[in-house]
Amino acid sequence: MSAEKPDNEVQSATTLWARYSQIAFIIPGSVVVGLLLGKLLDYWLHTRWLFLVGVIVGAVLGFVDMIRTVTRNKT
Amino acid sequence: MPEQLWITAFLNKYLAGLANAILGVLHIHSHHPQAPITNYVAMQLLVFVILVLGCAIVRSRLSVDNPGPIQHTMESIDGFIAKQGEEIIGHGSERYTAYLTVLGVYILTCCLIGLIPGFEAPTAIPSVPLGCALVTWFYYHYQGIRLKGFGYIRNFMGPVPVMAPLLLPIEMFSHLARVMSLTIRLFANMFAGDMVTLVFFSLCPIAIPVVFMLLHIGVSFIQTYIFVLLATVYISEAVSHEH
Repeated sequence: MSAEKPDNEVQSATTLWARYSQIAFIIPGSVVVGLLLGKLLDYWLHTRWLFLVGVIVGAVLGFVDMIRTVTRNKT
Repeated sequence: MPEQLWITAFLNKYLAGLANAILGVLHIHSHHPQAPITNYVAMQLLVFVILVLGCAIVRSRLSVDNPGPIQHTMESIDGFIAKQGEEIIGHGSERYTAYLTVLGVYILTCCLIGLIPGFEAPTAIPSVPLGCALVTWFYYHYQGIRLKGFGYIRNFMGPVPVMAPLLLPIEMFSHLARVMSLTIRLFANMFAGDMVTLVFFSLCPIAIPVVFMLLHIGVSFIQTYIFVLLATVYISEAVSHEH
């Protein structure tokens, strides 16, 4: 991210509030998305374990995304 | 046969055949062919009719010199969302104000209509917030693609090209999770509000539930505001030129 932010990137308190309010939902949301994608792959590939991989991948990516959200909003 | 509100029973009495025909075209078979219209669909139709009639009435009575209370209210809502959009999105935000205003008014009406005896809030059913979230999700991606074309994919790759293969799946999951986030937040709050009011109404039907109904009104306004605010933030990220 560039050091000088244009005017439309200046974050007000309400915007930060909205962004931070997402944090609680990032990991559960990612886990549900991973579960659904895993279930879809299980259905297509006739397997029974990809949903578990989806849940784990979703949890990991959700955690990474949560850290990115927090650090990004500190700028 | 599922439990029906009076308006659902009325609609099913006259429009069940039409609803079954539409569902048949989409290869969907209703579990109850005699009552294919559910409560939340009926309530959404009612909200739609209320909003269209309300806007038609305001439209017919528009006045610059002497605006009526409904016109004044609608102008205030539109002005508030336009100002917020200008603050978050910046130049060109007026293009998105109409969508955000309609979204906000629709969600707020859906939340508040549940307070009227004989009705229920459609936002307390997961399908309705999910629909609003999906429409918003497609809308902001469409606006990003419309503005940037194929270059919109760079929004998902981060500022450093080397990191792009790592960031792409994270960003994709993040964007998909936004649908879940918007859905769960609105649904859970409205469902919990309804349940709390119901529980206290069953314990003490006099006076006490009023407090929770007032709380429900507050929650409706706050959740609508958050939904619209997040939609504005997502649009600003999609149409932003800075990485």
